[in-house]
Amino acid sequence: MLNRNTQPPVNPIEHIDMVKAEKRLLSNGIPVYFVNAGSQDVVKIDFIFEAGTWFQEANLIASLCNSMLEEGSVNYSAAGIGEEFDFYGAYIQLTADQNYGYFNIISLGKHLKTILEITENLIKHSVFPQYELEVLIDKNKQKFLLENQKVKTLCQKKFTQVMFGESHPYAITNKLEDFDQINREMLLQFYQSYYHSGNCRIIAAGQIDESVLALLETHFGGNDWQGNTINAPKYEISPDPQKFHHVEKANGIQSAVRMGKFWVPKNHPDYHALSVLITIFGGYFGSRLMTNIREEKGYTYGIGSFVLSLKHVSYLIISTEVGNEYIEPTLKEITIEMKRLQTELVSENELETVKSYLLGEFLRDFDGPFALAGSFKAINDFGLDYSFYDDSLHVLRNITSEELMRLAQQYLNPEDFYTVVAGAFMSSREFT
Amino acid sequence: MIHFERTKLANGLTVIVHRDKTTPMVAIDICYNVGSRDEHPDRTGFAHLFEHLMFGGSKHIPSYDEPLQKAGGDNNAFTSNDLTNYYLTLPKNNIETGFWLESDRMLELAFSKSSLDVQRNVVIEEFKQRNLNQPYGDVWALLRQLAYKVHPYQWPTIGREISHIEKATMQQVKDFFYAHYAPDNAVLVVAGDVDFDKVLTLANRWFGHIPNRAVKQRAIPQEPEQTEIREQSVVRDVPNDTIYMAYHMADRLDPMYYATDLISDVLSNGNSSRMYQNLVQKGKLFTELDAYLSGDNDPGLFVVSGKPSNGISLETARKAIERELDRMKQERVTEYELEKVKNKVEANIEYSEMNYLNKAMNLATNEILQDAGLINSQVDFYRSVTTTQIQEVAQHLFRHANCSVLNYIAKKSEHVES
Repeated sequence: MLNRNTQPPVNPIEHIDMVKAEKRLLSNGIPVYFVNAGSQDVVKIDFIFEAGTWFQEANLIASLCNSMLEEGSVNYSAAGIGEEFDFYGAYIQLTADQNYGYFNIISLGKHLKTILEITENLIKHSVFPQYELEVLIDKNKQKFLLENQKVKTLCQKKFTQVMFGESHPYAITNKLEDFDQINREMLLQFYQSYYHSGNCRIIAAGQIDESVLALLETHFGGNDWQGNTINAPKYEISPDPQKFHHVEKANGIQSAVRMGKFWVPKNHPDYHALSVLITIFGGYFGSRLMTNIREEKGYTYGIGSFVLSLKHVSYLIISTEVGNEYIEPTLKEITIEMKRLQTELVSENELETVKSYLLGEFLRDFDGPFALAGSFKAINDFGLDYSFYDDSLHVLRNITSEELMRLAQQYLNPEDFYTVVAGAFMSSREFT
Repeated sequence: MIHFERTKLANGLTVIVHRDKTTPMVAIDICYNVGSRDEHPDRTGFAHLFEHLMFGGSKHIPSYDEPLQKAGGDNNAFTSNDLTNYYLTLPKNNIETGFWLESDRMLELAFSKSSLDVQRNVVIEEFKQRNLNQPYGDVWALLRQLAYKVHPYQWPTIGREISHIEKATMQQVKDFFYAHYAPDNAVLVVAGDVDFDKVLTLANRWFGHIPNRAVKQRAIPQEPEQTEIREQSVVRDVPNDTIYMAYHMADRLDPMYYATDLISDVLSNGNSSRMYQNLVQKGKLFTELDAYLSGDNDPGLFVVSGKPSNGISLETARKAIERELDRMKQERVTEYELEKVKNKVEANIEYSEMNYLNKAMNLATNEILQDAGLINSQVDFYRSVTTTQIQEVAQHLFRHANCSVLNYIAKKSEHVES
């Protein structure tokens, strides 16, 4: 007789096959990290430059400079670039974040030779045509106006300003007027300073064989695109002394909430154990925050806590959107959940659940070429090696409830948290 | 090419297995042939609310998520107009936990009152977060209502209004379950490094004795042909005017579907597409302009949506779009242009086959549509489309009388500019 009341036996995850990225240097010193994996004829190559907002002298320069890389080069017009990539079914993904500017391509292996030829010209010989720049600025202005109508955007902006201080590059302070201050020369100068071989690394994933590496050497290994080393500017964090902030957004029926505090970096001895703690707190569907605030009270569609590790700073963030009438009870319950972790031991059952869940996530993080490359980048950005993951597994398998409670007492004190609520007007009061 | 094996259990459950030896994980996808088109017009949003209740405990298992997490698993689900899809991934040696969980909730839900009470609220917050409290969040609701007068595609999956969700009762939940959740109305797909016989043994063990519920064939009222252009204008607190033009198109199994899809690619897929090059880049008439299909199984909508540049009126914008659509009707696309969009479709199919979960979902949704094998003939279907067909389909599609226009007008107030 089939027993439906009991879960079938669960096999613990003993072995995780961590396919590691290999390293090769191009003749000019550019490191190429590659993961040869996958069964499909697909290749993804990321060209990563130290060209994020950290290095810009005015708002928008890093991101607009990055976006302009597909808007015209010496050999290709903007239309021509679109034509080529579309014809071969290949993609350019351009993004700039706080620290890096990315030129990523995805292509079928059979077209990679052509795609890399074009890519070389785009990266090395971008021309920043004035007309395309104007079109891009108009597009981005409209996107900006749209984003600024969203409570989550308003909340995130204010949150970063409160945490870092408005003059710090990790604070998002873009304004509509900023678009009118941008000119072609500023972007060109940024491009010449930061998009060159001395400031580049490459991460490649998919079917990467010697022929792919040879193509990278041919197109990017020469000394024809060197630049000068530029000392990274230094910035001090100056957090707002006031812990609670509200951003007014009239007529909204929901408000966005961000709560957070500074966190330990990836190389800190407590980092891995804290990751387990934060998963229990708000990092998965069965977390304390989701169970209490969504699954028991129904205040929100979703709530979570995450650690954001940036190159120079890490922070913990709790994020949700809730009906205006649930803001106060939600903030209260978040605090209660922190206090519970500080005063009650996590049960064996819950600890077992979260350990198994995280081991499953571990398997997913090392499954398939793109995931493998992502896991490599997550350590390489911080100058760490794969022992980071060995340590993480070791901590995950051995952590105890007592250790978690001690960490909660040290790291999850409600009074350390900054809180930003963006939404319709509320009477000002102290949230403690 | 995705190889798979398929069989049907005695109770009507279709079982499909795709072997992918490259992953240590396994995906289990269960797709039920029920969506928001099966709802009563006064109880819209029910299929989606029901999806939430599927996580509120089943007959023998009080919590769905916890045992899955204990086995290293993760899961999610989505509801569309046509179907409700549940999927999970877990390490392959824990596959049986997935069968245990999914079969128990197909057998019978716990029908817990507290779960219904809470999930009603969660879904209402989801409604607010995705639709009511987002700029342009009500566009699809408006557009569907304008384009469909008879077919249940006239309401969005989240529901027509919050009150429908508030009023859902336990009796309705039970009726819905027994009417639609049954082995004879579902497809089970397993993808990963597993063999067919093992999956079949597990499927028989866990699902084999769930009764066939003789699910009735649906009789969905089909939309009559639209005979004159429809137009609606609304004023909203958004930063920019936007125009939406929706044309009734072929159903998912019509051979013309593929030509229709390629038309949308010629017009707006990628930086080299016609509308992007002519109207965004060269003409500077729009800052955003897209053409896309609603992706429904029954006859869906071909939608063009655009945000005009500053100083460009909605009327000018509409004329510019119509000029491009007219060109599709009057001139054949070039062989090169057609080759380009076909290449892109083929590459995208290759990219989508990198992931075992993706493959499981595609097999399941195609089997619900008609036949999982469709995913392997897609490339040929697209490849066989001719420039003449493109022109013929465009002529039929872009008729004035077949169009519904939504003018979404920005309320002229001071913008928040910080």
